[in-house]
Amino acid sequence: MRDDPTVVALVTRAAAGDQGAWDEIVDRYAPLVWSICTGFRMSNHDIEDVAQNVWLLLVGQLGTLREPAALPGWLATTTRRECLRVVTAARKSERLGTELDEAAQFVSDAVVDEEILAAERNAALRAAFADLPPRCQQLLSMLLSDPPRSYGTISATLDIPIGSIGPQRARCLERMRKSSALAGLVEVGVNFPGGDRSA
Amino acid sequence: MPNGWDDEQLLEALGEAIRARQAVPSWFVATGKNAYAWHNIDAELAQLTYDSQADTEELALVRSETASIRALTFTSAHLSLELEVGKDALFVQVMPPQAGILETHTKAGTTTSPGDESGYFAVQPIPDSQFRLRFHTTGGTDVVTGWITL
Repeated sequence: MRDDPTVVALVTRAAAGDQGAWDEIVDRYAPLVWSICTGFRMSNHDIEDVAQNVWLLLVGQLGTLREPAALPGWLATTTRRECLRVVTAARKSERLGTELDEAAQFVSDAVVDEEILAAERNAALRAAFADLPPRCQQLLSMLLSDPPRSYGTISATLDIPIGSIGPQRARCLERMRKSSALAGLVEVGVNFPGGDRSA
Repeated sequence: MPNGWDDEQLLEALGEAIRARQAVPSWFVATGKNAYAWHNIDAELAQLTYDSQADTEELALVRSETASIRALTFTSAHLSLELEVGKDALFVQVMPPQAGILETHTKAGTTTSPGDESGYFAVQPIPDSQFRLRFHTTGGTDVVTGWITL
């Protein structure tokens, strides 16, 4: 079993010199930084500039981050600011208008909050998935593959009877639901994407 | 909340989480992980305060051809680094002039450039990808620029 991958613990370990903890932070939040970058129309080169600056700023602040738990919010804000800086510089040098898309420039707090919550939810789900036994990971991956695999293919690949795919799926998901990685989400009240259908 | 999600909702959310991770290119993740090399390097950041190219682009409207040399200045609280891009070398003058060590950091690694007592250095060859310059002295001065692309 891995350590409980709470953000606070990861930041503390990374600040103390643990490259592994840093890598885990990056793995955990790279999708958040990436999705914000792709919201701005930037070249990969510019995206790399932004990423370098964002992570570099974080490295410099690891020891002084006042609330490590607020890291995703800090990352989202910093990434957006760096994107705006790069996009504005690019527009200026092309002598095009410096008007940015309103959508990119003015993002409501609600959108930012949803972005951060989604990143937390996704990170926790990936962590819970990583804690599952390999058989469960294989089965759920096949069920989630695009295009979807037929039960026949799944049965042949994993060498289990078609009739037990359904029950095994339920057991794996139940196991995931009880994972400590998901426990933190209960406290912050993260809801199902697209609205709370779980009430 | 995950405890309240039914199987379909949980599976759908997991699919979304996995796709979000798969959408991220590996170079992007590597960029983040490599940044840790700067951990515990307690250097002061020098910001770009002047770039001649920003000016020449404006002037290019009236002057069709310019043979000007690209010059950039990076400034920190204690000193500045004045860069001139030559034909086959990047020349760096530390202001105020002082002896020290100039390192060029690229993704491939770090090189040290020869310099004189007055803080004039030649970086050869000119880095062809992103790099940072770090200048430090035995007296404790330690300054690093942001990432530069020429």
